[in-house]
This record gives sequence, C-alpha cells and structure tokens, in this order.
Amino acid sequence: MAKGYLALVLHAHLPYVRHPEHAYSLEERWLYEAITETYIPLIWLLERLLRDHVPFKLTVSLSPTLMSMLADDFLQHRYLAHLDKMLELGEREVRRTRDTPFHDTARMYRDRLHGARDTFVRRYDRNLVRAFKGFLESGHVEVITSAATHGYLPLMMVHGEAVRAQVETGVRTFRKHFGRNPAGLWLPECSYTAGLDEILKEYGLRYFFTDTHGLLFASHRPRFGIFAPVFCPSGVAAFGRDLESSKQVWSVQEGYPGDYNYREYYRDIGFDLDFDYIKPYIHPTGLRVNTGFKYYRITGKTNHKEPYVQEWGRNTADAHAGNFMFNREHQVHYLARVMERPPLIVAPYDAELFGHWWFEGPYWLESLMRKIAHDQDTVELITPSGYLRHFPCNQVVTPCSSSWGNKGYHEVWLNRSNDWIYRHLHWAAEQMIALAREYPQAEGVQRRALNQAARELLLAQASDWAFIMATETMVEYAVRRTKTHLLNFKGLWHQIREDRLEPYWLEELENQNNLFDDLDYSVYAGAESAISKP
Amino acid sequence: MTALIWAIAAMSVALAVGIFLLVRNKDGARQTAKPEVRKPELFDFELAREIDFPAPESPREAVVELPRKYGRDRLVLMARDPYWLYAYWEVSAARQDVFSEQFGPAAWPAFRPMLRVYDITGVDKFNGGNAQSYVDIPVSAEADSWHIEVGQADRTFCVDLGRVLPTGEFVTLLRSNVATTPRATISDRLDEEWMWLEDVYRSLTRMHTGVSSPLLIEEMRERMGVAPLGISSPEFIARREEDN
Repeated sequence: MAKGYLALVLHAHLPYVRHPEHAYSLEERWLYEAITETYIPLIWLLERLLRDHVPFKLTVSLSPTLMSMLADDFLQHRYLAHLDKMLELGEREVRRTRDTPFHDTARMYRDRLHGARDTFVRRYDRNLVRAFKGFLESGHVEVITSAATHGYLPLMMVHGEAVRAQVETGVRTFRKHFGRNPAGLWLPECSYTAGLDEILKEYGLRYFFTDTHGLLFASHRPRFGIFAPVFCPSGVAAFGRDLESSKQVWSVQEGYPGDYNYREYYRDIGFDLDFDYIKPYIHPTGLRVNTGFKYYRITGKTNHKEPYVQEWGRNTADAHAGNFMFNREHQVHYLARVMERPPLIVAPYDAELFGHWWFEGPYWLESLMRKIAHDQDTVELITPSGYLRHFPCNQVVTPCSSSWGNKGYHEVWLNRSNDWIYRHLHWAAEQMIALAREYPQAEGVQRRALNQAARELLLAQASDWAFIMATETMVEYAVRRTKTHLLNFKGLWHQIREDRLEPYWLEELENQNNLFDDLDYSVYAGAESAISKP
Repeated sequence: MTALIWAIAAMSVALAVGIFLLVRNKDGARQTAKPEVRKPELFDFELAREIDFPAPESPREAVVELPRKYGRDRLVLMARDPYWLYAYWEVSAARQDVFSEQFGPAAWPAFRPMLRVYDITGVDKFNGGNAQSYVDIPVSAEADSWHIEVGQADRTFCVDLGRVLPTGEFVTLLRSNVATTPRATISDRLDEEWMWLEDVYRSLTRMHTGVSSPLLIEEMRERMGVAPLGISSPEFIARREEDN
C-alpha cells in the first residue's frame, strides 16, 4: 500500500463569452484558444492513459459557463470555422518554413490542428463535454463543477439565496450534461467563508478546496495541517492546497515552465510576421492577435530566442515530471513518519495554464501520471471522494475565510478598482429574491422573464469581471459586461413589476444570453429546492 | 520556528496596510467619486482608430450608465481581509426627510456625517449600546462607500452611519449587517481529540521559508505581465499598485 496520496486537480473555467451580435469577437477567441491548446490536449492525454490502462486518478472541474459554451451549437459552429482557418494557416506555414529550422514545428502545429478537428468533429460530434462524460464513467476521472457563473461567493453572502442560486444552477448544469450530481464543488477562486458549506450540503456536495491558509488558519488548529481534509460543522469536507507542489510548477525561481527548452509563449507569428501574410488570420480590423503558431524556445533571459525543438521540450517535461514525483515521494516519506495515517497532498491548478501557457504542460501531466503508476510505490493518485471513502473520520473545524487570490483573502475582488459593483449586484440580488417571492407560480412569458432576469444576474456576478478590473487588462470589456447584464436585469425587473413585458426584447436576451436553459428562478425564493438531492 | 513564518507573513501584510494608510489620506476624497468608470468610450475610440480596413462589425454601442441611487436605505458591510472592512450605503430621501423633521431643515447639511464602527465580537444581540468598543470615522458628505481599516483579524464588527449633532451626540441613520474579519494566523485553539502534530507544521516552514501563496502570485506577475487568456488564475494576477 502507498505511503501517501496525491490529488491532482484541474479547474477549467472561462467566463461566458458568446457574442452572436458581432461577426468577430476577440473574447470568443479565449474559448477557441483554450479548446485547441488546453481542452483537446487534455482529452488526448486522458484517452492515451485509458487506452494504455494506466491506473491513474485525476479530478477535473468544468465550470458551468464552460460546459454551456462547449455544448452550445453556435459556438461549436464558430469554433469549427476558426479551426479551419487555423488549419489553412497551418498548411501555409508548413510551406513557408520549408528548409528552415522551424519546419518541424510548423508540421507539428498542422498535425495537431488536424488531430483537434478529428477529435472535435468525428470523435465527440462537436461537443467536448461528452469526452469528459466518458472519463467520468471510466472511474479514473472525478469530474466536478463550480458555481453557475463562477460568482465570488463570500462577497455574495449578504444574500444567502443568491449563493444558493449560484450553487443550484451549477449543480443543475452538471446534471444535465453528466446525468448525476457532482461529488464536490470547486468554489470559485477557492474562496470560502463560514456558512458556504451549509449551502453545499443542501445539494449533496461533499467537498470543496481552499487555499493553504484556509485550512491552516481554521478555527481550531488542524492536527494534520493541510495533509488531510477537515470537516466543516456541516459535515462537508474542505481540502487545503499544498503550497510546495504549486510553487514547483509555477514559481519563477524553481518553476518548471520557465525552462529554456520549453516553448516561448510571447513569440507568436500573429505579431511577428509580415502584415499582408498574416492579415487573414488576425482581427479583421488588423489588430494583431495570437495565432498559436510559436516557433521559439525560451532560450534564456534575453530577447534572443532559438528555434523550438519539440524533442527537447518533451525530454525536459519528462525530467520535470520525474523531479515533481521525486519531491512528492520525499514529502510523503517525511510526513508518513510523523502522521499516523497516509498524508494527502492536494495540488490544484487552473487547467488553462497547461497547454495554452505552458505548452508542454499536458505532456508533463501525462508523464507524471505514468511515472507515478509505474516507477515507484510511495505515492498513489487519489480523488477527494476516494480519500473520504478510505478516511471517513476527520477533524471538525471551521476553515478560515480566504481565497487563492493575491494576499489570500478577498481584496482582488474587492478593491478600489471594482468595489463599485457590489452596491449594484446586491441590489439586483435583493430584487431577484423579492420577485421570486412575489411571483411564485409564474407561467408563460412572465416565467421566462423571471428566469432571464435570474440569468442576467448570474452573468453579472461572474468573478471574472471583478478580477479583470483589478488586473487592468481588458477592463472595458469587464465593465461593459457587468453593466450590460445589470441593466438587462433592471429592465426586466421594471417590466415584470409594471406588467408590461416586451416579448421581442425578452427573446433577444434569451438568444444572446442563452445558457442554463433549465434554470429555475424560484431558487431565489429561498424555499426547498425542486431538484432532487441524494 | 512556525511562529517565524507567520510573523513574516503578518509583517508583509502590515507593511501593505501601512502603505495603504499613507495613500489613503491623500485620496480620501477621491474614493467616493471613483465608481464612474467611463471606459467604454475609450474602447470604441481605440477600435475606431484602427479602422484602416473595412470593419464588418458595427462599433459596439455605448452602455447606459447604472443608477447612482436605488432609492433604498442600505448600509452593507463586507470583510475584505483580516484588517480591512468595506462599507457602502445609500440614505433614501425619505430617511433624510425624517431626519430633517426631527432636527430642522438646516440640520442635514450642517451636521457632520460619521461612521461608527463597533467591535461586537462575542456580543449575542447587538443593540447599539453593548459593543466591546467603537471607533468613529468622519466621512465626507458626498461619500457613499468607505474602506475601513480595523487592523484586527478574527473580530466581529457592525457599523452605523450617522450624523453628529453640535452637542456631540451621534444620531444613527442606518445600521449595517454584521461582518467578521478572517483569521491571519494559526489558531491557538487546540482540539484535544485531534491534537496538532508539530512535526507536520515544521515541514511547512522547512520547505517554504516564509513563502505564502500570495507571494508566489506576485512572482508570477513579474514574470508574465499580461495574463494569457484573461483567465482568473491567481498565478497570473497583475497586482495593482496599492490603491493609487
């Protein structure tokens, strides 16, 4: 039996970026890039591990907005068009780079794009959520989800019903795609505050993750630090992030992705090549954007870059996987000596960092899981549910209010750049609750209007907008989205209150912001939920 | 040894708070005006500037502004971190009228607005008179929100917005909800059945030498600058220069 456990957790999330009102949307490109560079490579590696019968365990959180976008016809259609455009570029690149040191890399990109098309169209009939359904059913991957639009729940807690609606809508969306309830919930930004667990419990959710200090600074000092979960007073388990494994992957000094053999993210032909050549593949207005064709390795600290060599990148990723495993073994050896039960190391990461940013990341992950299965017997991979089955008895404490954002608390989502949103978000939540209570049995157009009002509120609450405002990039978009959804809410609120619904406008909103089709506004009334709980 | 790393963490937070305090005085008046973020126009302009090529999409229409007031009495308190609270409020015209009836029409503009921050840690039912202690913070008449430094982790607070009469008496206009600041250290409360394992905690200090996850994030910001994909990963956060 293994001396200790490692729970690898990937959280995949993008805000809802669907803009049928525009012929071309820069923000939709976030989704397309993530599909090509992260989600499909992740699917490939999981398929390979399953094909080779590698005994692995992985936890993947798919946010409800991401699931909704992956399953959306319109976005599928647009992604395919994007992919075909990139394939066309891929063929041109293969020709252009002939007899240069970049030729092999160009062929690699073209082949990957062909592979992506095959996976997307032929294997999963354009809906990549299906791939994850298969993984879930394999028993190797625990797929969970997050709050509906990734709302920042601690700052929503003044209206418990608003939090409940985020959780319930997330659970509903998961059930729609996976036919069962998620075992746990990824709290957006790992943000927790006392009482959230009570709401999770109502929906049969058995665990969530916090940052390191969420556990270490709990109401009572946890016996095992972060190397075992704790139970909240509600009985929902909290798993704490291990700092060392995070740091190893991402730290500047010690982190893997900065290795000189890895592909350089910031040299993209979208910016580097002659304008007339690249024009058809960037923004129609001529704005240069990333294309994903990047030919250099990091090389060193200066601007001088050498051509990328795929084999070197892979060898380095293998070495880093070995190093990561060695460090976990080392950690487990030490902890197992001082603990009377096998230690658990929880390593959660944003999925989009693998592949999109760290090009070799998915390969590293695959290599790591293969090595853990075949090269040692100190550490065993596990899911949170698997751990709780082995160790159903855990200490009861109240975790510390915290997040994984800068400084560890709520400041990233509540500071001078974004504090103004809360008076509006809270007002809308309060009014949505009042509407749900005053119109409990709405039907027809009125019911649709109430559901759409709830949808607009949920969309306005996405933690992404406050985050983007704080990072000072793409701020205009985040402000616009916040205001637009709030004004849509306010418009619907007026029309419902004054009994003068405008069906055409409602339909327009339904078409534009069309996610969560089985959302039920009555969750805001605070009554017992209509969806079944285990 | 464990204490050392938490002391380092606490010091860095204290330093940040100190800097915050320094700039805060200078920009106290500004903090209320700032919600009007008028960037959409800028966005349109930037797009327009690039149009040397035929643009198939129509420029995005400007968004109507959100209301400044909703006509409801509200005072909402939120805990931002172990040392800071944030409050926003709106005093309805009706509430203002009641005040003016009570104290005369000249009283509203004349009497200074004040936030009274009560420490109600351990208080079962707060009634305005049974707080552990309180601190008064004068605010400007135009202010409708405030970042409040309380400097105390793991304490429970409630805030009144009021006006100070010439006699010095404080008249409450609105009372907030209750908010508790998060803990900033390892708890002193031990659990007899689950007595903490010192060696487990030692491994944390041995390995990390005082690096907290937020510090890790700042390292990444320096390396990466702009976040790819615009994802909200903590590893990519571009730390804002503290509130200036």
